[in-house]
Amino acid sequence: MDRVPARVLSAAVGILVLALWELLARTVYAGSYRLSPPTAVVVDFFEYRDLYLRNLWHSTKTAAWGFLWGNLAAIALAGVASIIPVLRRSIGAIALTVFCLPFIAVAPILRLITGPGNGTPITLSALAVFFTTYVAALLGLDTAPGSALDVVRSFGRGRFAAFRRVRLRASVPAMIAGLQIAAPAAFLGAVVGEFTGARSGLGILTVRALGALNTDRIWVIAVMATAVATGGYMVIGALGRWLCPWAPALDVGAVPTARQEPGLLNRLAALLAPIIVVFVFWYAFLWVFQIKPFFAKTPLDVWAELFTNADAAETRSSVFGALGTTLWTTSLGYVAGLIGAVVTAVVFILVPWLERALMPIAVALRSIPIIVTTPVIILFVGRGLLTTTAIVAVMSFFPTLVNCYAAMSRTPEGILDVLKSYDAGSAANVRNAYLPTAVPALLASARIAVPTSLLGATVAEWLATGDGIGAVMVIAFTRNDYNVLWVSVAVLTLVAVIGYWLVAALELRTLERVAPGVSR
Amino acid sequence: MARRGAPVDVVGVGRTFALGGGEVEALRGFDLHVPAGGFSALIGPSGCGKSTALRLVAGLDLPDEGTIDMDGASPDQMRRGQRIGVAFQDPSLLPWRTVSTNIRLALELVGRRHDTAAVSDLIELVGLQGFEKARPAQLSGGMRQRVAIARSLVTEPDLLLLDEPFGALDALTRQQLNDELQRIWTARGTTTILVTHSIPEAVYVADDVLVMSPRPGRVVARHSIDFERPRTRELLLADEFHAKVEAVSASLHRSEGQVVQIEADNS
Repeated sequence: MDRVPARVLSAAVGILVLALWELLARTVYAGSYRLSPPTAVVVDFFEYRDLYLRNLWHSTKTAAWGFLWGNLAAIALAGVASIIPVLRRSIGAIALTVFCLPFIAVAPILRLITGPGNGTPITLSALAVFFTTYVAALLGLDTAPGSALDVVRSFGRGRFAAFRRVRLRASVPAMIAGLQIAAPAAFLGAVVGEFTGARSGLGILTVRALGALNTDRIWVIAVMATAVATGGYMVIGALGRWLCPWAPALDVGAVPTARQEPGLLNRLAALLAPIIVVFVFWYAFLWVFQIKPFFAKTPLDVWAELFTNADAAETRSSVFGALGTTLWTTSLGYVAGLIGAVVTAVVFILVPWLERALMPIAVALRSIPIIVTTPVIILFVGRGLLTTTAIVAVMSFFPTLVNCYAAMSRTPEGILDVLKSYDAGSAANVRNAYLPTAVPALLASARIAVPTSLLGATVAEWLATGDGIGAVMVIAFTRNDYNVLWVSVAVLTLVAVIGYWLVAALELRTLERVAPGVSR
Repeated sequence: MARRGAPVDVVGVGRTFALGGGEVEALRGFDLHVPAGGFSALIGPSGCGKSTALRLVAGLDLPDEGTIDMDGASPDQMRRGQRIGVAFQDPSLLPWRTVSTNIRLALELVGRRHDTAAVSDLIELVGLQGFEKARPAQLSGGMRQRVAIARSLVTEPDLLLLDEPFGALDALTRQQLNDELQRIWTARGTTTILVTHSIPEAVYVADDVLVMSPRPGRVVARHSIDFERPRTRELLLADEFHAKVEAVSASLHRSEGQVVQIEADNS
């Protein structure tokens, strides 16, 4: 097994999975409306190829526009943050807040501004790429070698010259790594936008197929969406290797968080500045687009709805009760995915041929925006609480597996030699070396997973389960209860931001303990 | 002085590595004898297979030919019997563990987790009192090396293998650790093999200095060093010390010359 080329092994595993899928769909799941056999997927695709290709083209176009605008905005703001460091914290706060928004519930609000057309999916698509590209671009701009910056300064030139001649150039590899992640994310934003209503596109096609229980169609769409999103990821990856072959592969998701400046005043500023900036942004948004007060809710309205209005207690109990359900199912799913990923990574470390066979598949699946395949999981698992858990578990499994394995395989040889010199077995190696080595990578994955898991959960709840805060939001939307909708969006975003920061703080503490100097 | 540990007999060992498309012969006809409780230093030009030889003795790698015997046991048996302690140029500490839990790691691995007395004895022996709770990242290079050496000693091995443990340190720290290594060896009497680049270091601490040829490496000269112990820093200034260093240095240069000779023959 150790001599078979990885490509052959992966292909064999792929064929095996397809065969098993076909077999299960034709026997155990025959007539269950859960699983379509691969052959039926292909047949259905060709039968309705005009319909499929038209909608695929529509969604791809939407995603491309979102990709363009979102990335332009992100790179421009990263440039501003790089040239004017004072603004860095504020721009970062906006970017993180955008990343933490429950997109599916933002869509109805956006639609008030953009109208019924394609504006909402494009905007969501742009929002979906914004944070990761911003982080990647800023990381790239920061990686410029200090000595090169000093050279520019020694010729009496200022910050802007250094930016143009050194920083921008040095940032290319990181930016491409960011754009690579952005490709599937843009597609995800477009499809999620279409889930909530559109004239055309894969999202709305899926929603209709879910209503009609057209199993084959849902599977065809999931396969197409996966292929296009992964294709975008791979094309940009190839472009990056072609443009800057010298650059090492970068995992932008694992960028460490900024170190906290010491001192009470700094801490207070660090805490308050983002909150103030977000509130200012909130009011500015309502003012610029002149949304009618019936739809537009200010932070004060949200506060009133939660604490001072006559029905505040009712709102609180319904929103927080549902939030509890969502958090519970989401954490359950995340932990399940995490445990599965860590166990798989350990197996891969101990059984290298298995790793060579399956890892390429896991790497490919990691780039898939799992949320786009939510309808398939809804079909397969059903419309219960378990659906949310399953989606979050699948979403967390692949990125965690890939990052965790990568970290474990970087365990220093010297440490393994020391363990071997005492005849340590596999269990001792895993406990003493591999698992602790993977902890920073696990925390980095977890930090990103907080907002994405909550997004996955709310999409599932919105589309299918009828539980949790996603359901509260969809009911509020259909009843035109914009108070509850805004309250839910605000609370959910706040929870995601807090979760992100808690994990980031834990990550920083761990890094400072085991590897000072790594965090910046 | 209590003499403990296993004698090491290496006879006719060869080891070849596949590298890229070709092969690299690291060792050929490598012989080595260290008596029980002896202290030998291996010295030789870069890439002569010193570390390969040490890894073979440690049972971390297997020879292609030849035998290695320690008191009737093979290196692999010694390793499996957990009778070997190793320290490398890279201290290879676990960054998430403290000084004392890093040292305790070796005890955990040999199933003596609760021997806290052994850990605190070793911390005292290598002079790290007060740093028990520090993590590797908070220590200097020399302190990390002390931890690695303490870890290699804490299980009271029959054989101590040191692969340039002080290679990355400054001269002053290095001399200090050489003094401590000698003190520890005197106190414990464990059979010790030290791989080093530094001739004065080898002459200062070892009973025997073995000079290796360039690749494929083998021992081409043996110098016994019979200065009285404990050796002190005054020795570094003594004429007889310089004479020994000169002698070892001369045979090291001769050994390098040999290869030039061999290469000339080949052309």
